[in-house]
Amino acid sequence: MTERVDLEEPAAPGIELPQAPGGGPVVQEPLWRIRLRLLWKASRRNWRLFARNKIGLVGLGIILTFAVVALIHPVLMDRVWDPAIYHPVKGYDAPVAEYTVVEEVTDEFSELTLQEAQIRSNPFVRVGDVLSIAQQPAPPSRTHWLGTDPLGRDVLSQLMFSTRAAFLLGGIAAFVTVFIATTVGSIAAYYGGWIDSALMRFADLVLLVPLIPVLIVVGALFSLTLPLLGVLIGVLSGFGGTAIVLKSQALSVTVKPFVDAARVAGGSNRHIIFRHIIPNVVPLSFLYMMFTVTEAISLEATLSFLGLMNVQMSWGLMINVAHSQGYLLSGTSFWWLLIPAGMAVTLLAAAFFLAGRAMDEVVNPRLRRR
Amino acid sequence: MQTAESPMSTRPAAGTPLLEVDDLTMEYETENGNVSAVVDVGFTLNAGEALGLVGESGCGKTSVAMALLRLQADNARFRHGEIRLNGEDLLALSDVEMRTHRWSDISMVFQGAMNAWNPVQRVGDQIREAMDLHIKPQLSRAAARERMEELFNLVGVDPKMLDRYPHEFSGGMRQRAIIAMALSCDPQLIIADEPTTALDVIVQDQILHQLKRIQHELGMAMIYISHDIAVIAEVTDIIGVMYAGRIVELGTTKEVFERPRHPYSYLLLNSAPSITGPRRKLAPLKGEPPNLLNPPTGCRFHPRCPFATEKCVVESPPLEDVGAGHLVECWHWDQVPAITEKGVA
Amino acid sequence: MVKFISKRLVQMFLLFVIFLTVLFFLLEAQPGDLSQQYIGNPDIPPEAKAILAERLGLDQPLWGRYMSYMRNFFTGDLGVALSQYPTSVSSLIVERLPRTLVLFLSATLLAYYLGFVTGKVLAWRRGKATEYMLTLGGVGLYTVFYPWFALLMIWGLGFTLSNWLGLRVFPIGRFIDTNEWTGGPFTTNQVFSRMIWVAALSMIAAAVITFVARRRLEYPVAIRVRNYAFLGGVILPFAYFVFVASDMRPYALDILQHTMLPVLTLTLVAFAGIMLLTRSSMLETLREDYILTARAKGLSEKVIRDKHAARNALLPVVTSLVLALAFVISGGIITETIFSWPGIGRLLFDAVILEDIPLAMGALSIIAVLALIGHLIADILYMYLDPRIRYQ
Repeated sequence: MTERVDLEEPAAPGIELPQAPGGGPVVQEPLWRIRLRLLWKASRRNWRLFARNKIGLVGLGIILTFAVVALIHPVLMDRVWDPAIYHPVKGYDAPVAEYTVVEEVTDEFSELTLQEAQIRSNPFVRVGDVLSIAQQPAPPSRTHWLGTDPLGRDVLSQLMFSTRAAFLLGGIAAFVTVFIATTVGSIAAYYGGWIDSALMRFADLVLLVPLIPVLIVVGALFSLTLPLLGVLIGVLSGFGGTAIVLKSQALSVTVKPFVDAARVAGGSNRHIIFRHIIPNVVPLSFLYMMFTVTEAISLEATLSFLGLMNVQMSWGLMINVAHSQGYLLSGTSFWWLLIPAGMAVTLLAAAFFLAGRAMDEVVNPRLRRR
Repeated sequence: MQTAESPMSTRPAAGTPLLEVDDLTMEYETENGNVSAVVDVGFTLNAGEALGLVGESGCGKTSVAMALLRLQADNARFRHGEIRLNGEDLLALSDVEMRTHRWSDISMVFQGAMNAWNPVQRVGDQIREAMDLHIKPQLSRAAARERMEELFNLVGVDPKMLDRYPHEFSGGMRQRAIIAMALSCDPQLIIADEPTTALDVIVQDQILHQLKRIQHELGMAMIYISHDIAVIAEVTDIIGVMYAGRIVELGTTKEVFERPRHPYSYLLLNSAPSITGPRRKLAPLKGEPPNLLNPPTGCRFHPRCPFATEKCVVESPPLEDVGAGHLVECWHWDQVPAITEKGVA
Repeated sequence: MVKFISKRLVQMFLLFVIFLTVLFFLLEAQPGDLSQQYIGNPDIPPEAKAILAERLGLDQPLWGRYMSYMRNFFTGDLGVALSQYPTSVSSLIVERLPRTLVLFLSATLLAYYLGFVTGKVLAWRRGKATEYMLTLGGVGLYTVFYPWFALLMIWGLGFTLSNWLGLRVFPIGRFIDTNEWTGGPFTTNQVFSRMIWVAALSMIAAAVITFVARRRLEYPVAIRVRNYAFLGGVILPFAYFVFVASDMRPYALDILQHTMLPVLTLTLVAFAGIMLLTRSSMLETLREDYILTARAKGLSEKVIRDKHAARNALLPVVTSLVLALAFVISGGIITETIFSWPGIGRLLFDAVILEDIPLAMGALSIIAVLALIGHLIADILYMYLDPRIRYQ
């Protein structure tokens, strides 16, 4: 006889939940509190993952340093510096130095050719005269740590002031990009079909067109202010490459069972898109936000270097002023007009890029090293 | 295909030892410590024989297979042991020397072999690549082509597919083609690591029987690796049961199946119900495979063993011969019941 | 294959039409109308203005203007350059296009080749030190502010190197040293065209030889043939100017000298991105199963790396060609501007500065065409390389 194998007693029809003393469900905490706690836990874990990548930390550190600089500058202008001298746009200071008039200049900072001397002083000077002339641009000194630019303005102050512009621009561009790309990507993924095709084709077109020439022409036809540039970059980026990436992310969410469940439960399309798909796409879009900021900073710097931006002061503009007055192609003596500004652009753009890459490892588990 | 033109007619006679593995011990160095993946593994495989290595995932069977071809991971370290192919220790060879043995003496059919094809090259070119490398003197294009077509016929794939790309093959076809490629240089030994896991049951059956037929026809030795004991039983002469990096039982297939001597083998055999046989009480395996970073003391199976005693926790059992070459590592092998028609004795 | 190309061509054409339309509306959106431009310009005689106004359809409603605009464009009538009246826009573009093409093509090809080879070799070698250095160096070059980098190159290789060596290896800018050419027997276009022709022909010959060798010969021999063929392709133009057209030699050398630094600058930055991409692509590819199979077959490390891994790692890199194109074009424009190198990019910039709308539009359109063609080539190349796409 074969043994009868008994299954366990099935659960009683009226399943009972554990009761708290005094009745009511066990879990007393309000939902928002729970959500907050989970968010905190997740953030801590993500931070640990992010911090594993040293390079990402370097990037983050640089960004924070620049942010601090941007915040300090107004304080400096208010309390420490005399605006008449140190204002990045309107300040003026030209320390007086002694120049000898010579036939051939070997030291740009203490010698002048006869012709130059005649222009800057008076027409009657002769070779051998020693003149007192205002230095413009002046090399770094105790009062001007990074010297002055061709218009007599303090370079360090300009550098710090422009940081604000960079962050502002980056922020606008990033926000617009993420907003548009998330929406476009989610809609394309959710509805599929011709909407998807059309949007993706459009994205291809946007990707295709090289940004600089277009922006050059736009800059010539319209007045490019920082917010306008930010929006433009955001729109072009948002409809382009970022949309494509976010769409495939949204697609992977769309095919998950819980979306079907939501549909079956009667959720409208709009509800599903906004409540389910978009929240799952947003983390990845934060990642692309970083790369957008990198691009935006570089683009603005390039455009203001070319003189096409309508902006008060920015790093690119600093180089433009020096370049257009010929100080950069006459030799390497006026280094403080070139090195700091360019370095600032490169550092900040690179920092966002590195931090973005480190974030990639957090958001994209595939890339994590075990 | 052992014709006079066969380039590798230097096969040892059937029954003579082909592969001898002695005390192979391998560890993986990770940032969390050393994983003791293979410990004191040893067996002898004769020419023409089929050995099956069976065990749960992570028991070390794939590590052993990789070691045989010296394809181990970058962080793997051989602590001691020898792998002798026709008397030559493979572990002592240089990289260049080892390369000459790969594929021409030992070839392999990998797990998930369907992805083992380079997607941008034609299948025929990939097979010919191995042949051009190992077959001396090198076959002319025509001769190589003829041989490949023979191979494809042998495994049951249309020879015209030789000019196609891997993505044009179905899963089963790709698997068969991989077998054909493994045979291309007429090896003495083929290692098949879970050759049928990703395929559906019908194709699985076909391929298994094909492999068995080919093996007999060509007189090759084979090592079958699987976690599916039913598959292993069909095609092997000898079985080695592995657990946590050790071979815990080694014997002829018939012996091990009818009268397992290790509790683990017993539980493995008993964990699957039989469709045709009578209903019997299942003896499921409790617990999980051990973490090899910190393996259990003594006998590695003791946490899950129904027969475990104090001794098992403290001392690791030696390999004992319990009769007719049937080896087992257990202090209590005599307590392991036989599997009868009625179920647990 | 043919169907694919023709479908793509049609798509490209449509995209171009859309682009032109957008351009048109940009123009229209500008405050004031085009006729103001002409009125303000004293070089243009009144009758010409009337004719221009008519040609541009300025007196017609929007639709009419649009039709005139499109019609003009596709009949090759890009208008007259206002800043260089009466030179036509098309003639200016035709003159400058080969130069820009040389800049773009050589930078792209060099960057891709060097970047791919470097990335491939460096992915094979792992190790903490190299990885850090590479990432930092590569990212540094990749994200550097390009105009700044170009200026630094001028400072470093232009000024400093020349001062140090005492001789001028890299001229500071411009296309030629006008002093040396005045009164000479050749025009720049003559010498430049000759240079391009010779270089192009030798490269094509090398490519054909390589292609044939790949088909007929075994892999290792074919690779050797390829290397020698391209080596020859590079040496041949030099040999030509030394032995055959030796009268052109000093002029050719002058142009070459002036071209080296712009090309080098653009190449360096593009190279960094491609190297990083190749390296990560290779690292991904190395995890694939077929690499294990290749090892099991007993192939040597070099063959596995080049024939199996690199060939597959190439695919995402080629896909990135499209993005790289946008970069090379943008970078090329900046390069031309900073080095005062007279190509299409510089033409665009100058036109914009001088508010020469017809010229700017023409230059921009040509740039768009280049981008579209580049995209098409990248698509075809990808299709050729990935058999999985081919039989869709």
